Amino acid sequence: MTSPTLWRRALLTLALLVSASFVGVFVLGGGRGDASRASGSTEVASASLTSQDSPTDADELAAGRTLFVENCSSCHGISAEGGVRAPPLLGVGGATVDLWLSSGWMPLAEPAAEPERKPAKFDRAQVLEIVRYVTSLAPTTPGNPGIPFGLEISHADVAEGFSLFALNCAPCHTITGAGDALADGIQAPSLHGVTKTMVWEAIRTGPGNMPRFGPGTISPGQVVDIVGYVVENIQQPVSPGGFSLGGVGPVAEGFVGLFVGVGLTLLAALWVGDRNEPEEDEGHEGHEGPEGGDGHAGDHTGIQHGELAHA
Amino acid sequence: MIDPIFNWFDVRLGISGSGRRMVNKIFPDHWSFLIGEIALYSFIVLLGTGIFLTLYFVPSSKIVPYDGSYGPLRGQLVSEAFASTLNLSFAVRGGLLMRQMHHWAANIFVGSIVVHMLRVFFTGAFRKPRELNWIVGSTMLILAIFNGFLGYSLPDDLVSGTGIRISFSIVESIPLIGSYMAFFLFGGNFPGTAIIPRFFILHVLILPAVIVGLLGAHLGMLVRQKHTQFPGKGKTSRNVVGAPLWPNFAAKSGGFMLLVVAVTGFLSAAFQINPIWLYGPYVPYKVSYAVQPDWYMGWLDGALRIMPSWEIVGFGHMVPNVFFPAILLPGITFGVLQAWPFIEARLTHDYADHQILDRPRDKPKRTAFGAAVFAFYFVLFGASATDVLANYLSISLNVVLTSFRFLVILVPLIVYPVAYQICKELQSVPTAGQRKRANVIMRSSEGGYTTVPSEPRPGDVELSLDPLPLDEDVELVPVMAGAPAGGDDGSTGPGGSTGGGSTGGGSTGPGGSSRSQPPPAEDQGARPKGGIFTIPRDYR
Amino acid sequence: MPENAGGPTGSPEQVPSGHKKIPVSAARPDAPQFQVAAKNPRRAERVAVSGFLLSAAGFAGFGACYWQNYSNFWLAITFTIGFAGLGYGLVVWGKYLMPRGPFEETRHSLEPTPTQREEFMEDFASRGKMAVERRGVLLKALGLASGILGVVLAFPLIRSLGPLPKTTLRKTAWRKGSYLVDITGRKIKPADIEVGGFVTVFPPDDVGGAYSQTMLIHVTLLESGYMKPPPQFAQQRATWAPLGYIAFSKVCTHAGCPVGLYEELTEKMLCPCHQSLFDVTDAAIPIFGPAPRPLPQLPLYIDDEGYFRAQDGYNEPVGPGYWERGND
Repeated sequence: MTSPTLWRRALLTLALLVSASFVGVFVLGGGRGDASRASGSTEVASASLTSQDSPTDADELAAGRTLFVENCSSCHGISAEGGVRAPPLLGVGGATVDLWLSSGWMPLAEPAAEPERKPAKFDRAQVLEIVRYVTSLAPTTPGNPGIPFGLEISHADVAEGFSLFALNCAPCHTITGAGDALADGIQAPSLHGVTKTMVWEAIRTGPGNMPRFGPGTISPGQVVDIVGYVVENIQQPVSPGGFSLGGVGPVAEGFVGLFVGVGLTLLAALWVGDRNEPEEDEGHEGHEGPEGGDGHAGDHTGIQHGELAHA
Repeated sequence: MIDPIFNWFDVRLGISGSGRRMVNKIFPDHWSFLIGEIALYSFIVLLGTGIFLTLYFVPSSKIVPYDGSYGPLRGQLVSEAFASTLNLSFAVRGGLLMRQMHHWAANIFVGSIVVHMLRVFFTGAFRKPRELNWIVGSTMLILAIFNGFLGYSLPDDLVSGTGIRISFSIVESIPLIGSYMAFFLFGGNFPGTAIIPRFFILHVLILPAVIVGLLGAHLGMLVRQKHTQFPGKGKTSRNVVGAPLWPNFAAKSGGFMLLVVAVTGFLSAAFQINPIWLYGPYVPYKVSYAVQPDWYMGWLDGALRIMPSWEIVGFGHMVPNVFFPAILLPGITFGVLQAWPFIEARLTHDYADHQILDRPRDKPKRTAFGAAVFAFYFVLFGASATDVLANYLSISLNVVLTSFRFLVILVPLIVYPVAYQICKELQSVPTAGQRKRANVIMRSSEGGYTTVPSEPRPGDVELSLDPLPLDEDVELVPVMAGAPAGGDDGSTGPGGSTGGGSTGGGSTGPGGSSRSQPPPAEDQGARPKGGIFTIPRDYR
Repeated sequence: MPENAGGPTGSPEQVPSGHKKIPVSAARPDAPQFQVAAKNPRRAERVAVSGFLLSAAGFAGFGACYWQNYSNFWLAITFTIGFAGLGYGLVVWGKYLMPRGPFEETRHSLEPTPTQREEFMEDFASRGKMAVERRGVLLKALGLASGILGVVLAFPLIRSLGPLPKTTLRKTAWRKGSYLVDITGRKIKPADIEVGGFVTVFPPDDVGGAYSQTMLIHVTLLESGYMKPPPQFAQQRATWAPLGYIAFSKVCTHAGCPVGLYEELTEKMLCPCHQSLFDVTDAAIPIFGPAPRPLPQLPLYIDDEGYFRAQDGYNEPVGPGYWERGND
């Protein structure tokens, strides 16, 4: 081995180690105070969430680039510069890219389709690779957050989260997080089946028609509180009263009350009471009864004829 | 042991004398007469569970921090009404059961009143001499709906509180006196602190007292005038045929009451209702999506949604938009409802006493009209769920709303002629709707097949597989449209001739046609009458 | 459950009763109508007894679950079984083990005969007439007293229920110079709200107020200047929306619900109650749904310290309409 080769190898090894520790700190570490339950958490703490790791080594980005070129570039452009059908992705930040991929909105089912929730096409590792690649294409615009690695919600104040959720989220997503239809075909999706990271990212990036809640309106601690409430009480609501009927409220309760409740009581009434005997023309206003026929087979009402009665 | 006790009361109150008539009173036994009893028994459930709830519910808007067991609300500032309802749901033993039974019973109560009202309407039981009972009953419907609204608003949660805000706006919208009435009812501007205590006393004392009084009048008139009955053998307008109050009716009705209670219990076991802990307390600047009122107010909510944005403004005054769907519409609805016996008497010029019920098919105009009106309110009720429907069907909300605006006009217009036609079809076939007696195909020992009638059951009509024999004196002549065929009577015509062609008994033969009239000359050879619902009288 | 299915399906069978109907009071115990309805009374009895036994088990279970504080589900299920069993047994008893009838009762007309009417009129009307005839002054005085009572009752029964509305509905707590604060009382700066974000704001002296609640929305990014109002308000509202921020009353003009739903891309506000859609870039004019009037707009300015403040209160009453509102 010549010394330039050795030198290059040593540099490469060092670069790898540095990147690995960098990644390791973000993936495994955390608890830098950004997950504090105090609503007064400072911007510094949130900065640790919003800064993204930006490895510069070309090999690191190769996998992400391949995935991007194959799945995204046809609409978003080969360098994410955007196109007729899709916005540019330069500087959008890791959180946006992660959310749109994890939720399955992207890639679209067809180029002209509306984004819809579906199982994510990529696994977590692939998503991170794509995120890494896209965020490397341009510096992230200040204010666009990155993926909140190490998001810790175990200390979330769910009571505060509930209150904030009711004020800011319930008008679109419903107070039980069931989701509902907005105007012009848009939909506020259900909050079931989403991860805590996705909830965080949605609040901070405001995807689609969803408004954007930055640190000035909902502080970092408050976001954690809301995420905690969603994960704990929206996704696993306390339902001691029985089947929760989809959390849709009086609409579903009305159906059950009428069809099951009144329906069962009507069935009971059918059993307890009698049925009508087939009518005779006697004493009946204006309707012709069945022909008489012979005395037995034709006569069914039988109070006077010794036949079956109380049908 | 009973005898001395009975004797003690009898000697002082004279039960034996007047009681005999009561005990021997006859009640007709048809199952549809029990629907009103469903309402009565669910009302009793409401009273019983309601008493339990009043022992724990605190009807106060005073703000307190919640310190109960439900984590996501702990420490939050809520009204005492909300906190006490949470307490009932989580801390009081059996409290959630009582709350759920109360709310499910309320849904069944109003639902069964509506079904009962429909039964009375379609069978014409509201006619003279029972107009007053109809008015009493429809008043109870209005009070039940209103009391239900008051009841589910008591917990002061986010969903029902939004409804209270809307009701304030509705009262406010009444011309001339609206803002005064709203301020008087609410004790000031919205939200104020008087509304929960006032709703409470209306809900547990005033309205139930009025309902109990009206119920007494309703049942009293029923006992005095005696119940109507369906036409049948031996039933005239001068008698009542059925079972005596004691012991038959008492046992069956008592058992039925217990079954209604059991259904309420089943619903409370299986289905959660009004989980207010998931809604949180009412705060005027918070709101949820997918907020509908309970189903019996749904038609009002739907009317509010699909009403176009019209408003009358002029000369410094305004008739606001919500007046039309929320005041005018229910005003007309309940006004016409109450007055219906008199409207129908005027329209049909029928001022006679009626003790025998109609089959709905025998009064096709009334049935069709009632069906169309019911369809109108049903579409309004469906319109209250525009957003939920748009979400589940993945249709644009705008499209759903616009569709409902058309449907609310179109559906009743379609239902009327369809219902009318169905009635006419059913009329022409006397055995329509009755259980046919089946024929069983038996193989004889010789290997041949015969049909044998199956075991008769009450109410069976015989339906023979043998074609009816031709009358001997009938000549089969090929008919052309418009050409009169000579000499045949109605028995050769397929389709529903109006002579009431029964299919009773293969042996009836000529007897079967003795009652039918020959169709008018110009109809002979024309296409058979009747339509898609007609069962041909014979199988030629 | 067909009542006469009989046999293996479980319900007892009824004997066809088809006898002549009789008044129940006229029946003798040996009459056919007095026999029980069941073909097999023993079987019917067994069915009813099993119902009652099931009920007993249910109620006992209910007691146990209550004592041991079991969940709502177990309380309700045992309760249901108890009542269902009891009801079933009682109904079987009533249908199959009681006199099968049929019975009839005469329906007497309630209409009075002419004689009855005459006698009633005699007793009631003629005696009454004696007391009332030529007592006009008496009657008029009674009428006066009752009339005044009726009118005066309106005061305790109606008027004392609440205050007069006067001008309460006309004005909110917003004044010239009011800070815009959020629900915690914190003053808002433009940088606090992202593009496409919103905050619910109040005047400082009415935080949480039902009528003063306002939506402050950052609609679009403007380096300087104001959002352009629609032509009919070009003069009046020219400076009301600085730097792409705009504020509208959160109280829907239809029925008063909070219009908390902001669609960022389409720049519309949707009311969740009855789906009225307001165009934020067009003075919140309703473009869909039942709302009849636009949402009132709060005129904004940004003061020297960089906080949002109101130029003035709302220039019209907020919320739903009422008779006296006119064309404000």
